Amino acid sequence: MAYNVLIVDDSATMRALIRKVLTISGFDLGECHEGANGREALEILENEWIDLVLSDIHMPEMDGIALVNAIRQNHLWENIPVVLITTEGRQEILAPLLEKGVQGYIRKPFRPEEIKRKLQSILGEAWVPHDRELEGCDF
Amino acid sequence: MIENLKAATFEVLETMFFLFPESLEESAQFFHGPGLRAWVPVAGPKKFRVGLTVSLTLAREMATNFLGLEKDELPLEKLQDVVKEAANMIAGAFLSREQAPQEFHLMPPHVVQLNLEDQTWRENAQHLLMAVEDEGLEVFLEKNT
Repeated sequence: MAYNVLIVDDSATMRALIRKVLTISGFDLGECHEGANGREALEILENEWIDLVLSDIHMPEMDGIALVNAIRQNHLWENIPVVLITTEGRQEILAPLLEKGVQGYIRKPFRPEEIKRKLQSILGEAWVPHDRELEGCDF
Repeated sequence: MIENLKAATFEVLETMFFLFPESLEESAQFFHGPGLRAWVPVAGPKKFRVGLTVSLTLAREMATNFLGLEKDELPLEKLQDVVKEAANMIAGAFLSREQAPQEFHLMPPHVVQLNLEDQTWRENAQHLLMAVEDEGLEVFLEKNT
């Protein structure tokens, strides 16, 4: 099964990096959509079939916390796995988001293998590894 | 505080940029030519900003390592975005290490171009000077005016 992924981050460079990590890590990537903030992410969710959301927290206009709230309050989206990829490391901010049903978080800075490991643990058997080794990739 | 800034900087540069800086005693010969300075304002009970200054040469090295692109594929805009992202990650890692209360939060990063020879930032007390090979790198923590 190929996953349609929505990457939400106000940095185009970080979105490109995450997309690249997904591609080379063996993740079965279908369509990959990108939004620069929560508002853009919601517009994409309205119009596209999304299987997984990878979102930053600190973004202008609409941050990741508001985005998580909106996703979890919409019955069409409430079961979409959400993983935060964020510079935020303070538990008092992260813990309430985990309670709201965020599946996990990856702290920036991260190693590419961490994204793979986290998604494997969340998606379980749905993860389809292609056995492309991360070692030797030109990161 | 400055120790946490140093640890945050090393964490970010090593993990995401594969760069291993050394602390500098003497700085003059390591800062030359055009450069980029990026910073992240931190809002909250105290307003300050966390940022870094690098030469364009080092910015190019960072972007190459970060994105896995060739150096000739990197326009200035991309270099600016990479240095902003580095500032963002250093600021985030710093706040986490400081265990700053949640009232403190990161604002969107800024970046400017500058000539490294013209700068007075070396007089800033709350900063760290480092070098990656022959290229200087400044990380700073200063009051947001």
